[in-house]
Amino acid sequence: MNNAQLLLDNLPLLIPLVILEFGLMIAAVVHVLKHPQYRFGNKVLWLVIVIFFQIIGPVFYFMFGRGETA
Amino acid sequence: MITIAFIKKEIMETWRTRKILILVIVFFIFGILNPLTAKLTPELLKMSLKTTIPFPDPTSLDSWLQFYKNISQMGLYLFAIIFSGTMSHELAKGSLTNLLTKGLQRRVVIFSKGFVLFGQWLLSIGLCFIVTLGYTHYYFPDNKSPHIWLALWPLFIFGLLLVSLLLFTSTMINNNFGGLLGTVIVMIIFNLINLYKGAVNYNPISLVSKNLTIVKDDTKFFDLWPSMCITVGLAIGLLYLTVKLFDRKKL
Amino acid sequence: MNMLELKGVTKAFGAKSVLKDLNLIVPQGSIFGFVGENGAGKTTTMKLILGLDKPDTGTIFVKGQQVNFGQTATNQVIGYLPDVPEFYDYMTATEYLQLCGEITKIAKQERAEKIETMLQLVGLPNNKHRIKGFSRGMRQRLGIAQALLNDPELLICDEPTSALDPEGRHDFLQLLTRLRGKITILFSTHILSDVQTVCDEIGILHHGQLQVTDTLTNLKKTYLKPQIALTFQDIAQAKAGQQLIINELALIGEVQENKLLVSYGSDYKTASQKILSLLLTHDLVPLAFNQVEPTLEQIFLQVMQS
Repeated sequence: MNNAQLLLDNLPLLIPLVILEFGLMIAAVVHVLKHPQYRFGNKVLWLVIVIFFQIIGPVFYFMFGRGETA
Repeated sequence: MITIAFIKKEIMETWRTRKILILVIVFFIFGILNPLTAKLTPELLKMSLKTTIPFPDPTSLDSWLQFYKNISQMGLYLFAIIFSGTMSHELAKGSLTNLLTKGLQRRVVIFSKGFVLFGQWLLSIGLCFIVTLGYTHYYFPDNKSPHIWLALWPLFIFGLLLVSLLLFTSTMINNNFGGLLGTVIVMIIFNLINLYKGAVNYNPISLVSKNLTIVKDDTKFFDLWPSMCITVGLAIGLLYLTVKLFDRKKL
Repeated sequence: MNMLELKGVTKAFGAKSVLKDLNLIVPQGSIFGFVGENGAGKTTTMKLILGLDKPDTGTIFVKGQQVNFGQTATNQVIGYLPDVPEFYDYMTATEYLQLCGEITKIAKQERAEKIETMLQLVGLPNNKHRIKGFSRGMRQRLGIAQALLNDPELLICDEPTSALDPEGRHDFLQLLTRLRGKITILFSTHILSDVQTVCDEIGILHHGQLQVTDTLTNLKKTYLKPQIALTFQDIAQAKAGQQLIINELALIGEVQENKLLVSYGSDYKTASQKILSLLLTHDLVPLAFNQVEPTLEQIFLQVMQS
């Protein structure tokens, strides 16, 4: 099986996966940038966490990182 | 009536603070990842090892293996992260004080929160299961996983313990990390207990780690009876302790 | 009948004892001003009354019924307004009151109307705005609405005016005045003018005990001395004036910066004539000369000193 066919074959999985994962990440990135008050840490730290740790990074940010006046 | 009012409040909270949205997204992602990982693992191995030896084709069992692996190693902790501060946040903020001085009974708070949390556990697992099921049927139309529905039950039961644990630790520790910390510590303890082989069928952790054997063979379900009873017992005990602990809490 | 009664209540936090054998009686229908400096134990006392904390010794009765820590039976007749009311930011004011109404078991048919009335009373609009965006004053208004929602027989307010702007403060005191006679109110504050405006009875909490409880009129009679305030150009002049008054007129004078406060026993006219002519003959001309409005501050300071 070549790579193109592999990709095509798995599109029904990859499309929703990419949408959800990126959606979660983008939402977190936007939030980090728009609300610069965090319970702890700074903007750069949270951007790194949110972008490089898929799924768990954004969830961790939304639950522990974002400030009270979210 | 008061219980229903507080349950409504809890549901509104999880909806409007978007906790439930995050939960749905995360467990939907896992639902997709399970069959995908099952499907891609042999391909990736082939590519990285640069060999032409044919690997056995993945089956539905591989997909369900991923399902239980992802739930027990990731999903469970993400659930704990999302609801880690369910009590401590309200206690720290003082938002419960107002309602308690109006005659809301303290144990109603615990029971309502527990009820809504468990509902969300069922929802998360259910959603992840349905998504995995759909893709698995599509990509691996075999009959190698006959008992997927039965194997799901221990997972639901384990949720009872997880919910009690979150309530207990977030009432005890005045910190948003309390629930997560408690879950991690208890899971480590359960894993240590499993070092002693005789304890496996009694250990609550088997409810989230032995599921694949049930998928293959439904008689294995009954091996887990002691573990299920202990889990339910622990959950009830912890819930009772939480109520006692909260009753003594000075606000 | 007494709405609220505290008997020999003590409470310590670690080594710091906050309440020492506190006795307090609030008769039904009165507005009781609970005065004390910050940290005197006012909030602690209220939390004990609400069963949110446990007294070390002593008993508390609300409407004749004993308060038990962690239990909420007595809370059903109480409305409580905390110093900083905390709500759920994701709700609207109406939704929050709805939740309160359900908890206090207000019948479904009455609830919507009641909430509407309360919102109007405190001047909050019934709209879809979430509490998240509320200002401090709006939160305080919502706090009042939730405290009064279930027609409490005893209203407990913890420093309700300290966070309000002058207008909000005025409105709030007006509201309390309108409730006079209908419900019993226990009202803590360190702003004495508030107490003066609305309270029937005043208790001053100091060193963990009520040093004084009495009606405002009686307190004024016992503690207040009429005073005249003279403002001079500088402290030196004020001190010179003080010497003169003490030596020549045998009156008590007190210097505060460039001000001289003179206590007098006789009537205002004779006293002021004497003081002024004395000062003028010695070439001391005050910049301002006026009668001091008697305030609770003086009572308060005297009680704390004694």
